[in-house]
Amino acid sequence: MNARKLTTMAAAVAAAAALAGCTELSQESARSYMGKEDAKAYAGDQFKGDKQKWEQSLATRAASQNEYLRTQAAK
Amino acid sequence: MARMKFICDAERCIECNGCVTACKNEHEVPWGVNRRRVVTMNDGVPGERSISVACMHCSDAPCMAVCPVDCFYKTDEGVVLHDKDLCIGCGYCFYACPFGAPQFPQAGAFGLRGKMDKCTYCSGGPEENNSAEEFRKYGRNRLAEGKLPACAEMCSTKALLAGDAEVITKIYKTRVVTRGKGEEIWGWSMAYGGSGKLADQPGGRA
Repeated sequence: MNARKLTTMAAAVAAAAALAGCTELSQESARSYMGKEDAKAYAGDQFKGDKQKWEQSLATRAASQNEYLRTQAAK
Repeated sequence: MARMKFICDAERCIECNGCVTACKNEHEVPWGVNRRRVVTMNDGVPGERSISVACMHCSDAPCMAVCPVDCFYKTDEGVVLHDKDLCIGCGYCFYACPFGAPQFPQAGAFGLRGKMDKCTYCSGGPEENNSAEEFRKYGRNRLAEGKLPACAEMCSTKALLAGDAEVITKIYKTRVVTRGKGEEIWGWSMAYGGSGKLADQPGGRA
């Protein structure tokens, strides 16, 4: 094996080692949940499975926490 | 769907404990259990800061990792919940949690530790939504009613924000850009005017 091949291999190994630090690990738990199944929050009587309506309701409430918007709207 | 998170704005929190009271009242949390509490740093010293702390519904929750009976799960909205029927009250989650969120009610005459209780982001648990059983075990399910957690909605100064992480970080960013940053935005000068330096305020240190 000549020196050039060795250098190429060493560079490839070094690049692989360096790039390994860029890997984004999954944030999903490796453990499995053993308990009871939970119903979706929008599955109740109020939203009857309408996810979009439920999300809109939460978004409206979340946005109302920004009083800068509320005071500007009042002017 | 969004990732539900809390942010507490330390520049706004006035340590009123309104969030703690709202939580206790909303879920009828038993005596000795505090799902949320207010922590104050440098209490009584000009420049003190308070923050409201509860379960932060971590993206990579350590409680889930250490639970020996795997009673934790995460909803589509990123809320970390647990099944009390499965919990054995071992307390591992308490040791793992960096926020001290898991709480254990005293379950017997000899200090027996009950099943873990913690902030549910007002989204109940693995029982039928808004059922009596869900309320008894986990408290009220406001999320199923299209409402945000009671603590944040009750916060008088809107220091505690709850909702989609993207939305509340935008609100927080708007605030910081609008009000500026530094010691002059705290306390005396903010309330009564005058010098913004802490050293010039009554009781301030030089």
